[in-house]
Amino acid sequence: MKLLIVDDSSIMRRTIEKNLGDYDLEIVGMASNGKEALEMVKDTMPDVITLDITMPQMDGITCLESIMQIHPEAKVMIITALSDKLTGLQALDKGARGFMYKPVNPDDLTKAFDKLLNRNAN
Amino acid sequence: MQTNKEEFEATCNLFIKSVENYFKHLTDIDSEMSVPYLKDKEGLILKDITGMIGISGNRKGFVYISADRGMYKDLINIFIGLDDPADEDILDMAGEISNVVAGNVRANLGANFMISVPVVFEGMPNQLRLPQDLSIYIIPIKWNGHEAFVVVGLE
Repeated sequence: MKLLIVDDSSIMRRTIEKNLGDYDLEIVGMASNGKEALEMVKDTMPDVITLDITMPQMDGITCLESIMQIHPEAKVMIITALSDKLTGLQALDKGARGFMYKPVNPDDLTKAFDKLLNRNAN
Repeated sequence: MQTNKEEFEATCNLFIKSVENYFKHLTDIDSEMSVPYLKDKEGLILKDITGMIGISGNRKGFVYISADRGMYKDLINIFIGLDDPADEDILDMAGEISNVVAGNVRANLGANFMISVPVVFEGMPNQLRLPQDLSIYIIPIKWNGHEAFVVVGLE
């Protein structure tokens, strides 16, 4: 499966990459904002996308809406610091398959990705 | 009904809890808070590198976290195993921690507590101008032998 990681923090992108190393995921791109992410989605059609919300140029919610138009089968996992319920519900309503609040530690990522990837197998 | 002072202090307490949770959840090393205090007419307290977030919506102001390079380097080492990160990585780390600490406060204050993307700077920039009409609360913290400050300014 192909994975695209989208976060404006390079440290966060590499943290996600490091902690998803045990999954059979090919990282096809890392984007630092929503605009970059959309170009990469068009080019690589990733199966799984981790998507931050607070980013420059294009935020994650706007990006998510466009991703769902380009590639509605993509499993999008939102990973954001915005920990209010409304933002989570908004993201799920727009097509995200999962939602995680930062700070995210390795256990959090593992649990969320087990659930995300198993969901499609059932 | 809360007075403005009580509301301000309650909001600052949310930031304190957010900082404590950040370090505990990601590093298993507790942070220690010293007694917070209101900023007087002295200048702002800034360490090596600062990540600042603008606040808008139902509250207006800012929050920043300012720490020495060593604290950011230790966090990067824990997260991705880099012993000697590049300057770019250290600045990135400063922005990310301020983003997470500010964003987590929305769990209590809701989506109308709006936050900007982080602005990161080193030392004391000449151009730094903050509104004069803010109450500014300074929260000293220690984590893993490093001293840092969380500074909350709200109308």
